[in-house]
Amino acid sequence: MDYFLSEEQKVIKRLAKRISDEVISKVAGKYDKEGIFPRDILDLLAYTELTGVYIPKEYGGFGGGVMEMCLVVEELSRNCAGIAVSYAATALGAYPIMLYGTQEQKEKYLTKIAKGEAIAAFALTEADAGSDVSNIKTVAEKNGDFYILNGNKHWITNGGEADIYVVFAVTDKSKGPRGISAFIVEKGYEGFYFGKKEDKMGIRASSTTELVFENCKVPKENLLGREGTGFIIAMKTFDRTRPGVAAMAVGIAQGAYEHALKYAKERVQFGQPLSSFQAIQHMLADMYINIEAARALLYSTCKMIDSGAKDYTKESSACKVFASDVAMKVTIDAVQIMGGNGYVKDYPVEKMMRDAKVTQIFEGANQIQRNIIASEIVKEL
Amino acid sequence: MNILVCVKQVIDPDKIEYSPATKTVKRNPQHLMNNPADLNALEFALRIKDTFPDSRVYTLSMGALECKERIKELVELGVDEAILLSDKRLAGSDASATSYALSCAIESLGKFDLILCGEHSLDGETSIVPPQLAEYLGICHLTSIVDIKPKDQNTLEVVKKIENALARFEVKLPVLLSVKKDSNSVRFPKLSFMIRALLYEPMILSLDSLKDIDVKRIGLEGSKTTVDEFKEEKIENFSCEIFEQGSFKEIECIVDAVLKYI
Ligand SMILES: Cc1cc2nc3c(=O)[nH]c(=O)nc-3n(C[C@H](O)[C@H](O)[C@H](O)COP(=O)(O)OP(=O)(O)OC[C@H]3O[C@@H](n4cnc5c(N)ncnc54)[C@H](O)[C@@H]3O)c2cc1C
Repeated sequence: MDYFLSEEQKVIKRLAKRISDEVISKVAGKYDKEGIFPRDILDLLAYTELTGVYIPKEYGGFGGGVMEMCLVVEELSRNCAGIAVSYAATALGAYPIMLYGTQEQKEKYLTKIAKGEAIAAFALTEADAGSDVSNIKTVAEKNGDFYILNGNKHWITNGGEADIYVVFAVTDKSKGPRGISAFIVEKGYEGFYFGKKEDKMGIRASSTTELVFENCKVPKENLLGREGTGFIIAMKTFDRTRPGVAAMAVGIAQGAYEHALKYAKERVQFGQPLSSFQAIQHMLADMYINIEAARALLYSTCKMIDSGAKDYTKESSACKVFASDVAMKVTIDAVQIMGGNGYVKDYPVEKMMRDAKVTQIFEGANQIQRNIIASEIVKEL
Repeated sequence: MNILVCVKQVIDPDKIEYSPATKTVKRNPQHLMNNPADLNALEFALRIKDTFPDSRVYTLSMGALECKERIKELVELGVDEAILLSDKRLAGSDASATSYALSCAIESLGKFDLILCGEHSLDGETSIVPPQLAEYLGICHLTSIVDIKPKDQNTLEVVKKIENALARFEVKLPVLLSVKKDSNSVRFPKLSFMIRALLYEPMILSLDSLKDIDVKRIGLEGSKTTVDEFKEEKIENFSCEIFEQGSFKEIECIVDAVLKYI
């Protein structure tokens, strides 16, 4: 389908596709099996300047928006969502700085992120605060020129690997969500350590770790926005980055569909290729319909966000939910079409099925997204 | 350093179609690609530019206007200016006529410290254009090069492959070098170069803009060789070896061995 992307967007997609097909496809299986962090691929993305597609020109980026970020994530995910999420998590860490950073913070951090000289991470989740974001326990106390952070973060993508972390902590317990603040914490700050590395079902090339703050000294100029705006910063960031999860899901689904289609044309049973059986044809048709629908919703949401629209919470959540559910369904069907070969690691679809699952969970589980969408549409009545 | 790389647009061998009547390869513009060895030559040029950023890298191609799309891919890799010598009168030029025409184009373009060519083109396979070009230009040349490193602005260290041996040379500029296929890995394009390529138009040279060219020495008429017969070779003797229960490492070695032949 023609999505009427601009010539520049087509170039971005073409470049990301080339890297995905020529480089990522060759290492995806190995990186997944051995849990190798894709530093080399991130370096290549930096060389090719894809690291800066969504960062404003004044900070050395390309000046694109959510659409450009999503086009890269989608293409990388066609071959390995684990590698794609290592790229996308930097965007998750960069967006709060883009949206709420001071001029100095933007110059200091975004220029490095754009060039790929630094990777970023976003640290909100804690053991007792997953879906219930406002229940975080990490605290930040002001002490002279510093904030002193204490607490633990769980499930942090790019944990241990990133140079820049946007960390959420409570500065005023009495104010509930309005007492949360966001801080930029650099790797190497005193009192900042990395804890357990998660052994995950999917996206195994990405790193997911615990972060530990023990009297971690964060300079006061690293407060993002004002004290107490952390919850808003997190939510506004998610509004812009949930399409990134949708892009990841569309990419995984597209990859699985392509493998299943090729396999169905080549594999002969009962004297005919699988693709000649109507039961298989209908599965392929449904895959195609669902992927195109997910992509259409994703791209229109991106266009809406990049157009400068004010409120796009429900659209952003809707594309995340729809695309991730599509990715799950499509990858399960791809495994089915490929039979036993779909279920073993010699073919990439079993990995895609494992990778797809997380898109329904992270950046707000799909149940929570449906809550968000429902509250928005009811509000509009 | 001013570097010129000669890049031919050839037909993708997977999509090649022969025309027995004209004894030539059909040149369907959709199936054109940049000759792989020439891209290896270009990669060396770009590496020199990485070391000496003031260097300018030019490419020169000779072919029909349809080559423009493929030439844009050279700009995507980081070429400063791409030039296409295009004139109907050049059609049918053999290797000798081609080197003559290229040498006239190069002389009209100015002085280059280094001229790089791929060792041979996928469609012609003669390997004689680079040495002939150097002779026409009256500069020193070396063939079968597998590595080039700039020592300073006037000197290069080059490695030449001779059968199973490698010979290291130090050469003073100007020089023409022909580079063996696969002697390096060609870089990926950069986004900013790709955006530049979107609107980039190669500089088109016609024969009329070349001073002192003798048009009798180019095209079919000026060619010293003619093709008597054109036959597609059928490869019939396939052999098959079955490797059972190979370890992953062994399979990787086999795949590497097979890839060398395709
Ligand atoms: C691989 C991976 C990477 C991650 N990366 C990051 C990261 O970089 N930064 C970060 O901050 N976090 C990250 N997370 C955390 C992620 O955002 C959370 O896992 C997610 O928000 C869900 O929280 P939870 O796991 O605590 O599940 P819970 O909140 O315990 O939820 C469990 C289940 O119950 C459902 N549920 C919970 N509450 C409700 C409700 N009110 N109504 C209906 N259903 C409900 C959920 O939808 C879910 O299905 C990552 C997680 C994973 C798995």
